Amino acid sequence: MAEPILKVNSVTKCFGGLTAVDDVSFSVEKGEIVGLIGPNGAGKTTLFNVISGYYAPTKGSVVFQGNDISGKPPYHLAGVGIGRTFQVVKPFAGLTVLENVTIASFLKHPKKADAERHAWQVLEATGLADRANVSAAGLTLAGRKRLEISKALALEPSFLLLDEVVAGLNPTEADRTVELIMKLKAQGLTILIVEHIMRVIMNISDRLVVLNFGKKIAEGTPAEVSSDPHVVQAYFGEEAA
Amino acid sequence: MKNRGATILAIIGAALLILPLVVHDTFVLRVLTEGVMWIGLAIAFDVIAGYTGYLNFGHGAFFGIGAYTIGILMMQANLPFWAALPAGGVAAAVVALIAGIPTLRLKGAYFAIATWALSRAIQQLALNVEFTGGPDGMRLEAFLNPQFFYYLMLITVGATFAILWYLLERAPFGLKLKAIREDEEGAKALGLNPTKLKMQSFVLSALPTGILGGIYAYWITFIDPSSTLGDLVSDQAVVMVVFGGMGTLFGPALGAILIFAFKTIFWAYLSDFQLLYLIILGALIAISVIFIPNGLWGTMFKRKADATRPQHQPEPASEPAALSAVAAPEEGN
Repeated sequence: MAEPILKVNSVTKCFGGLTAVDDVSFSVEKGEIVGLIGPNGAGKTTLFNVISGYYAPTKGSVVFQGNDISGKPPYHLAGVGIGRTFQVVKPFAGLTVLENVTIASFLKHPKKADAERHAWQVLEATGLADRANVSAAGLTLAGRKRLEISKALALEPSFLLLDEVVAGLNPTEADRTVELIMKLKAQGLTILIVEHIMRVIMNISDRLVVLNFGKKIAEGTPAEVSSDPHVVQAYFGEEAA
Repeated sequence: MKNRGATILAIIGAALLILPLVVHDTFVLRVLTEGVMWIGLAIAFDVIAGYTGYLNFGHGAFFGIGAYTIGILMMQANLPFWAALPAGGVAAAVVALIAGIPTLRLKGAYFAIATWALSRAIQQLALNVEFTGGPDGMRLEAFLNPQFFYYLMLITVGATFAILWYLLERAPFGLKLKAIREDEEGAKALGLNPTKLKMQSFVLSALPTGILGGIYAYWITFIDPSSTLGDLVSDQAVVMVVFGGMGTLFGPALGAILIFAFKTIFWAYLSDFQLLYLIILGALIAISVIFIPNGLWGTMFKRKADATRPQHQPEPASEPAALSAVAAPEEGN
């Protein structure tokens, strides 16, 4: 088997006395979609922040394409091919949708005209092109989540971290986003996704990693994971298991 | 629109260039020279305040540092003006670089307070060390040629405007700074290094300010801690930019012209009420922030943009109203 694109080696992240992520290890192979699930407060977003460089791990390491990236700043990781979205969306509210995406396009297209052209292409692909000249503050939640994805894609990443890009959308919008994610996978992108909506995560993930109280409690295909007694217990409580 | 703008700009530029040939009144020329200087100070201030979102209440310090550097180099090191002038800009830029390391980590009001404190500290330094002349100030060798200073100021401010316009409106740099202003954490994920960009912005703001301070010193021939390092330089720059329109180049220029014209008229007729001038400045900044948060320029253009935008733009997929309400934009931060 080829070298995995991402390896998380015994990552622990503590905030003071609180251990948010506790000795978690897993890896992601090139071209697959791995879902990261777990009840609220399981440490999913913290783990995302460690992988994307927002937090340095307290212990352990993150290896991306063979290089140790633990503790490297986010802007460095964007440069090596890691794109991410934020659960709490971060649009540049005072700028237009096109400007928002153009800023991300600068990474691979340093000239402004090239970056703008590239941003247009990204917006065409994500279905936001008709909103390009609208202020990002004027977008609905669905639009903002889509803008998050557009910005991450404009970096032309090889690895995409999606943090709850479906949550909060109505079923139609959710389907559109799932469609987009599958299209990205078909283009060869590797994706690590956090999502609460089981219908979505079970359908799109090749494999799942389940966290609870910061620890990894299960890993496997969606079918394996959903019948795992530890997972059932974490989601539904002692008696259900 | 763009062509018309360029034509208007060219006409204004040409008018400013031939003005001294028509106007021989030294007082008028002096007022114009200072007016042009304020345009330069306002646009330089806007680089860090408007584009990058870091309200610098110590902008006057860079002006004073430039002025004192030229003064000291000319009077104590006997350097000619042309040799001393670049050093004024460099000195201000170096101070910005050093001061930026601790202060640019702060946000919002904390940055404003820190830069204000820094400018007070520099003023105290100038008051208490010997080579600045302390509270007595410093007299420079007089060079009485109003036309020379008018043109020097005009060329310096014109060049500053052109360079800033290219960097901030044409090159990617301006958009990157705006990304920092809008969301620093979000900008990081897009490959931007906020520390580096903020430093570049601060230095870019300080450099022309120092040079203008140097020209001012040679022009006015007398500098002291209260005139060049006092609060008024910073405060006026803040009002001009906030009133004119932050995050643009034409806004601060417009603000500078209007505020400076007001100041000139006010001081000509009501010079006994200088305190009132400061009160009006204070009121103006409050009024601008509350009623025209985008400034005069921003308000004028936003209206226009809204009018030309198609009125009805349906969302691709409709969404429950409650959700859009939850996701209401957090404007004004």
